[in-house]
Amino acid sequence: MAEKAILYDATRCTACRGCQALCKEWNENDEVIPAVQGGVKERNRGSYENPKDLSTRTWLKIGFNEVEHYDKLDWLFSRRACMHCTDAACVKVCPTGALYRDEAYGIVAYNKDICSGCGYCADFCPFDVPRLDGNRILGKNKMDKCVLCTQPGLNRLEIKQEPACVKTCPTKALVFGDRDTLVATARQKVAALKAKGFTNATFYGEKELGGLHVLYVLNDTPDKYGLPVDPKFPSTATAWQDIIQPLGWTVGGLTLLGLAFNFIIAREAKMTKELPGKAGKGGKKHVAE
Amino acid sequence: MSQSKAVVQKYARATRLLHHIHTAAFIILFITGLVLFIPQLGFLAQDSWTRIVHRLAAVVFIVAPIVYLVMKPKAALRAVADACTWGTEDVGWLKAAPRYYFLCDEEGMPAQGHMNTGQKLWWFLVIVFGAVFIVTGLVMWFLKTVAPAGLLQWMVFAHDVAFIVTGAMVFVHVYLGVIHPMMTEAWQAISKGTVSEEYAKSHHGLWYHEQVKEENTAPPPEPKEVVEVH
Ligand code: HEM
Ligand code: SF4
Repeated sequence: MAEKAILYDATRCTACRGCQALCKEWNENDEVIPAVQGGVKERNRGSYENPKDLSTRTWLKIGFNEVEHYDKLDWLFSRRACMHCTDAACVKVCPTGALYRDEAYGIVAYNKDICSGCGYCADFCPFDVPRLDGNRILGKNKMDKCVLCTQPGLNRLEIKQEPACVKTCPTKALVFGDRDTLVATARQKVAALKAKGFTNATFYGEKELGGLHVLYVLNDTPDKYGLPVDPKFPSTATAWQDIIQPLGWTVGGLTLLGLAFNFIIAREAKMTKELPGKAGKGGKKHVAE
Repeated sequence: MSQSKAVVQKYARATRLLHHIHTAAFIILFITGLVLFIPQLGFLAQDSWTRIVHRLAAVVFIVAPIVYLVMKPKAALRAVADACTWGTEDVGWLKAAPRYYFLCDEEGMPAQGHMNTGQKLWWFLVIVFGAVFIVTGLVMWFLKTVAPAGLLQWMVFAHDVAFIVTGAMVFVHVYLGVIHPMMTEAWQAISKGTVSEEYAKSHHGLWYHEQVKEENTAPPPEPKEVVEVH
């Protein structure tokens, strides 16, 4: 099966947040707005953007960026959720295998049952996406993030349906399909934008982290959309998983071997010293004294 | 070999207690850490319980030395000073160690102090990496949501380096303490607190003779079998 992807065309997005709402609904991530008598407890943050951040119950949110855009103030919208990297740092550092790469779809899938709540994925994610919930002091947590509608029991891909966010998008800013096809579409769209004079138009996600499975058509540079300009697989993840861990095994193994070797030689030597003539013979476990 | 009855006290009760409590905490931390370190064991960490145990053991690992430091400040500070005091007998030890530990050849081995060079090296590692464990562990524990991601990444890395160094060396430590044919009374020293005079003379000559000297100049101690130390 060909790898799948979502294409988000920022130029078509009206920030209606239908995707954000249906994501919650389909994935049963209800969220209660804290209420007080006669209103809600939420404070005005000076932006239509809401909620403030991703959370274990908000896997997708639309960002509202007020930025200078071709010499005038503009409001640029951007979709924020798991990018489903090909070279996913979270998969690399997850000690339990709870996060893994789904070879069929190419996405970063998640087996929540075996998550240990360590939060390494959150520390190493170049896009700061995974969120943890639980008791911070005890350390009893569970991670959550967008799984591209592959939750057990709520798996839309399995039944050949597009993800919930895509399904609900009224302007077709979100489309789902084979990654190769979408890459071609995105290229065309960006070329068209450039032809129209949006010289900074960017196709984001083609090469980043080995290829994202959420592709972006932007009509300005990624930073204007709150996206990291040149996201990198963290070198610390490589240093840790590919250097220090194998080194640990080598050091541990060699130490034990060395000790066994020492024991054989030293015992022999000691026996020779203490029982001249009987050296090495009889093989009795005649250790010190 | 005539068994001399006389014994010398090597480790005071509080020291031994600290050693055992710290060892127990270390073993628990080692095992509960290992399940995160070995991908094939990762499933054991499911639902956080090994990590909860890791934190409980960490509390013991941190509090025990602090309690000791408060209750026995002099002994604690002297022990730390010991770890930082290096002399010519240490160079001699390093030179003689291979023949000594492999061939049981005591010839070139200079007389050693209360701790021999090898023990001192281990003790030094314990202090340094103990601090690394504590600092990096506490950052990952309590600053998880506020520390920059880059810092947290290096914290796991440093925690793992400490794990590898001490995790490998602890086997050397146990081996030399209880298994190596030459170290006949090291285990007795830390379990019962005493070693025979004979062992003290042959393994910790410098220290033994200092004790004897002190004994001779000091106001008459109880001339019993047990020579009090510290
Ligand atoms: C003394 C205080 C210590 C504290 C506060 C501490 C805390 C931690 C924390 C917070 C983690 C990250 C995972 C989690 O959130 O549960 C961790 C991981 C780990 N700890 Fe500790 N720890 C301590 C001592 C030790 C010791 C003595 C050892 C080994 C002998 C050890 C071995 C490990 C290992 C192997 C890991 C996993 C690293 C990996 O995933 O590769 N820790 N520790
Ligand atoms: S928090 Fe869960 S999913 Fe994330 S790295 Fe740890 S075990 Fe894996």
